[in-house]
Parts: sequence; structure tokens; C-alpha cells
Amino acid sequence: MNKSSLVVFKVILLCFIWPFISLAQNTESPIIVGANIGNVPWEFQDTTGKFVGFEIDLVNEIGLLLDRKIEIINIPFNGLFAAVQSGRVDIAISSIGITEKRLESMSFTQPYYDSDQSLTTVKGNGIESLNDLRNQIIAVDTGSTGDIWATENKQKYSFAEIRRYEGLAPAMLDVVIGRVKGYISDIPALLYYTKDKPNLVVVERIPTGGRYSLMMGKNKPLVSQANKAITSLKLAGVINDLHAKWFGALAEDTTSTVRVVPMPATDEGLILDFVDTFLNTDVFMQTYPMLIAGLVVTIQLGFIAIIAGLIFGLLFALSKLYGHKAIQVAAKAYIDIFRSIPLLVLLIIIFYALPFVGLSFSPFNAAAVALTLVSGAYTAEIFRAGIEAVPQGQFEASEALGLSYKNTMVEIILPQAIKIVIPPLTNNCINVIKDTALASVVAMPDLLKQATQAQAVAANPTPLIAAAVIYLMFLLPLVLWVSRLEVKFRRGSR
Amino acid sequence: MTALIKLENVTKHYGTFQALSKINLDVKEGEVVCVIGPSGSGKSTLIRCINLLEEYDLSGKIIVDQILVQKGKNLKNVRAQVGMVFQSFNLFPHLTILKNVMLAPIKAKGLSAQVAEKIAVDLLNKVGILEQAEKYPAQLSGGQQQRVAIARALAMEPKALLFDEPTSALDPEMVGEVLDVIKNLATTGVTMIVVTHEMGFAKQVADRVIFMDAGQIVEQGSPIEIFNTPKEVRTQNFLKAVLNH
Ligand SMILES: Nc1ncnc2c1ncn2[C@@H]1O[C@H](COP(=O)(O)OP(=O)(O)O)[C@@H](O)[C@H]1O
Ligand SMILES: [Mg+2]
Repeated sequence: MNKSSLVVFKVILLCFIWPFISLAQNTESPIIVGANIGNVPWEFQDTTGKFVGFEIDLVNEIGLLLDRKIEIINIPFNGLFAAVQSGRVDIAISSIGITEKRLESMSFTQPYYDSDQSLTTVKGNGIESLNDLRNQIIAVDTGSTGDIWATENKQKYSFAEIRRYEGLAPAMLDVVIGRVKGYISDIPALLYYTKDKPNLVVVERIPTGGRYSLMMGKNKPLVSQANKAITSLKLAGVINDLHAKWFGALAEDTTSTVRVVPMPATDEGLILDFVDTFLNTDVFMQTYPMLIAGLVVTIQLGFIAIIAGLIFGLLFALSKLYGHKAIQVAAKAYIDIFRSIPLLVLLIIIFYALPFVGLSFSPFNAAAVALTLVSGAYTAEIFRAGIEAVPQGQFEASEALGLSYKNTMVEIILPQAIKIVIPPLTNNCINVIKDTALASVVAMPDLLKQATQAQAVAANPTPLIAAAVIYLMFLLPLVLWVSRLEVKFRRGSR
Repeated sequence: MTALIKLENVTKHYGTFQALSKINLDVKEGEVVCVIGPSGSGKSTLIRCINLLEEYDLSGKIIVDQILVQKGKNLKNVRAQVGMVFQSFNLFPHLTILKNVMLAPIKAKGLSAQVAEKIAVDLLNKVGILEQAEKYPAQLSGGQQQRVAIARALAMEPKALLFDEPTSALDPEMVGEVLDVIKNLATTGVTMIVVTHEMGFAKQVADRVIFMDAGQIVEQGSPIEIFNTPKEVRTQNFLKAVLNH
């Protein structure tokens, strides 16, 4: 992509995003904290639905000291970066490690927990250390420290593939199913998670020297205020008490849970304005190949689901219209069921539940099957409506001429039905392509997944914006084409 | 000479409603039969049973050219022998006039495209539509469309033709051109059953006129017998109504 087209790209995007940026700052307002709820024991829901955890307690203590209310909102891990940078939240917590990359565009308080990564697996599956993972598939959280470490060390340990999940629960489910052999993630969370699950075991500590901290917008006044509060809390022993509360023992004196340490220096050289944050050329160029790889997967998946859905849809429409009684009932049941079930639910059932009855799909196949089933049901209804819209006289004229059922369909009915169904079919194609993004939940590296990973790794939301533009670039022409067709057919020949 | 089309005891129910009641009818090869009668009397149902667009009750029998008309692999032979022309033309709107006529010979008879085209051109010429061969049905007038529909039926070289009120959907000024085509056909020796409200036409072309009412054949005979000396009261009343109209 050349320089001038990048400028155009930025200007267009600016218009899109501008209204969503909040610039207002008000010290009286509550501090909004974004947290990836479910990240035990840092932030999760207790049985009453209340948000609890080490970091929840910590921000509440800070709120008391600063005399401001704390409001927690649930945001997935890889959404936290954009949330902080856009000002949607003031503080992000979720055992976020301080990294150089993140310091380029965001600020951190002093750390309050020293952590490493870990390898977790099912007891007795033959994996005892990282070296046993040669040519095996491993699981990580999209864009996490574990993801970054695994990506850097993929060659060294010869991992066959790194599969990226949207959190601990689905990743561990796949470890249990056996589709992935191990899960690389923060050690405290996994020690906590496995302690009451005897079949799961943390087999190796991976020393990465991670230090958890509060992540905030670059050089916001709140950073130093919160940092001071943390200093006070450490000196008063409050944070170590939290450690004891959540991990069952006090932390060692040498750790950042106890000792006051300097605040990490934010990279002062870069003052990030709006354009550098959301339309960062360097980040875009770096992550461009990842996005293209994602686009290829999205297109492959969309293409397969659309073609298979068309074939399915036609067969089911014909079965429902002309099949024997039992076949009609079965076709109707299929169409009704798969139009009612949310795609996301179906995806999760196919990917995570079917293995328990011996049907295990790869992420791509699971997504293709789910999309095809749903698209087939919608397509069937579209075809049925199209066929029924062809006048009865056309069937009779064709039959009276002695044409076979197949010829009647192929030569007379379907060519007329196609014209009627092209606009709704194209709409369905657009939906299928958009729905491929849901395949992120089954660890499939589609465009959205690649973009979220890229934005977490680069600590910058530009890849998400770029993904939005890519989706637009190939869906918008389809949308416009359908509108034109609809107008044309309405004026139409009949 | 045996009958080309033979109906024996044909009854037809739509659910519990009896649309045809014990119809017996023989139509000889080359015969032109016109069917008249009030609306709802079962005229359409009668001819639609002959090519099994409607299924008739199992108690009866229809035989066309020695073949029993029923579902199954013989049905396509029956339909190849019996062409049909509909009140609403039912041309295929996505095909040109020429393709409308060529389709069945190619798909149902397995003729080559060249042979089928030759047949189609001949027939379109005969019904006077050859100049419009490359147009689509929607571009033609009703009368022209119905003439194409006749050519389309003839392209299968059927032994018999069934017409279901072929001029009822036409503007009055176009009725003549279609009736002229049918009159010409009548002289070529093709067997025809024509449901019609055009009494003058029936009088002129029919070898035999059948009057139907309430799903039954009430009376039949030569045009002179039916139109000049109808025996049944129902026939008399019907004719009085339509001729004074
Ligand atoms: N598909 C159908 N279902 C139920 N009743 C029908 C159907 N077709 C025709 N009928 C009834 O059968 C009777 C004869 O119809 P039809 O043969 O169309 O009469 P005609 O052609 O003489 O006007 C009418 O009373 C009509 O309402
Ligand atoms: Mg009728």
C-alpha cells in the first residue's frame, strides 16, 4: 500500500471514528475499570454474581484512598487495550503484564505481582514439560503474554500450531477434550484454577518475569495518583493481605507485592494523538500480513459455507416441497430448527460438545459445518419462497409438454425462481461472511481473530480498524449490488 | 375405427365435492369435439384428466392411444401424444419465443437443436409469428402469445390437442386471429377437444358438440343437433342464455 492511499485511508477512518471518542475528563466522575471477568482469582463472579478477586479488591482499595467511586465493567481481555486507549475505561485490570510494546502507547502504575507463565495439561497424557510438545497443538489466550511467548518460541519448541482462545474456560475445555495438548498462560491463575481439579496439572513454570500492573491511558493524571495509592497500600501491608486472602499465603519480601518499586517509565518520545492511536501506519504495516492471512481464512470459510449452504438449501427446499410425507416433515424440522438456533450456540455445541460423543472437528471444519447448517436452512426457505412464487401454470405447461420432473425444475422453474431469489440469497451470503467472525470462539484464525490478536500484541487498536475497513471493502459492494438488483427486479420484466 | 381417446366411467372428486360424475366418452382419431357448458360444470376438469394434470378416481379409466392414463413411466408417452393449450397461455417467460417452441422436442423427445429449430421455425411461420421468434413472451400481445402456445404444443407432433377456453383471456379484437389458427388446424386431421364459449366457432368446426352441466355430459350430437334442436331442457336454457347475451 503506498503513502498517499494510506493518507486517504486515515482520513476516511477519522470520519468514522470521531464521534465515538470521548474527550471529556471529570475528576468527580467514578473511575471506570475494565476487567476480563472470569480470570480467576483476579476478577471473577462469585456464586451471587458479585465481581470479586484480588484485583477487584485492589482497585476498590485505591478508590477508597482517592475518594472516588469504582465502577467495574466486563470487557474481554483483548478488548481492554482499545477500551483504555479510547477512554472508554480509565483503568484496565486482568493480570496485565508490563511490556515495552505496551509502554509505547499506554501507562502503567508500579507492579503489584510478579508472575511467570506456565504449562497446564491433563494428568497422565504424556506431557511433562515443554519439550514434550514437539509437533503438538498448544492453546493460548488471544493476545496474552502467553500468546506472545508462544509465538516467539514456536520454532524453538517445534509447536505444530498455536490455537488462540477467548479465555481460560474454552481453552481448558479443549485441553480436556484432547484437541490441544497444553495451555500456556499465567501461572497464578492456573494454580488457582487447577487446585480443586485433580485431573489437571501445571507441569512447568515458564520464567518470563511478568509483572502485573494497572494499565491506563498514556500519562493520564490518574496514573500517578493510583501509583501513590499503591505505594501507600504496600506500606500498610494491605496488598500482601490480599495475597494471603486469595493465594492462601503471604508473598515473599522480595516481590513487588511487598516492595515499593518505581513506576515504569512511559515511552516519552512518542506522544500518541488520535491518528497514531487508531490509524498507526507502522502498526498497520507490521500487522498487515496477519490480517491478510485472516482474510484468506475468512474468505475460504465463507466460500465453502455459501456453496455448501446453497446445495443444502436447494435439496431441503425441494424435499420440503415435493418429498414424500416423511421427508417433508424432516426437511421442515431441519429448516425450522436451524433457523431458530443462534449460530454462536451451534458453533459451541459442535466444537466443544460433540467431541464428548466422539465427533471431533478442527476449528475450521467446526465453523464450516455450523455455518453451512444455518446457511442451508435460510437458503432453503429462500428457495422455497422463490419456487412458490413461480405461477402454477408454469408447472402445468411444462408437465403437459411431457417434460420430466428434473427438466421441469432445471429448465423452467429454477431459472425463474433464481431471479426472484438472487437478492435474498446475496443478503444471506453477506450474513454468512459476517458470521464467519463468530468462529473466533472456536479458536479459528479468521480476520477478526487475527485483528484482535494483532491489536493485543501491538498494544494498538489500528488492526481492528483495518479489519473493519477490509470487511467493508468486500461487503459494501455486495450490499450495493443487492440494492441495485432489488430496484431492477421491482421495475422488472413481469 | 377405435377411439384415440376413451373415457370409461370417469369420476373425479375434489375432497368430497364431485366435479365429474361417471363420464363416458370416445373421441375418434381426427375428430373435433367442442365442449360447452356453464362455468363450474367440469369442462376444464374433464380435459385436465386426459393428460393427468388432475388425477381421476380409481373407479374410472382413461385410455389414450391404447395407453392407460395413470402415474408412472407411461405417462410421458401419453403427454407426448396429447398437447394442451391453456386459457392463460403459460408461455415460459425466461425463454425466447423460438426457445419456448424448441424446448420440449429437445428435452422430452431428444431431438437435436437443429432439428428442433427447423420444426419450431416451420410452426411459428404457420401461426404467423416467425418475425417475433427472438422476442420474449412479455413483448407479445395476448393473441400472439396464444398462437405461440399452440405452436409450442404442436412441436411435439401430438396426435391430439386439448384446448381449455383458448380465447377467454383475450381482448375481443384478438379472438379472431387465434380461432383462425385453430380452424386451420381442424382441417389438418389432428384430433381436438376444445372447451369454448365461442358458439359460432363451435358450430363451424365441431364434428361433435358436448354439453356439460354439474359434472355430467347432459347431451351430445352434431352442431346442428345441439344448436338447432337441443333435446334437454338444461341445454336449451344454457343456449338461450348465451345466445341472447
Ligand atoms: N383444485 C380444485 N379444488 C377444489 N375444487 C375444484 C378445483 N378445481 C375445480 N374445482 C371445482 O370443480 C368444479 C368444476 O371446475 P372446472 O372443471 O374448472 O369447471 P369449468 O371449467 O367447467 O368452469 C367447480 O365447481 C370448481 O369449483
Ligand atoms: Mg374452465
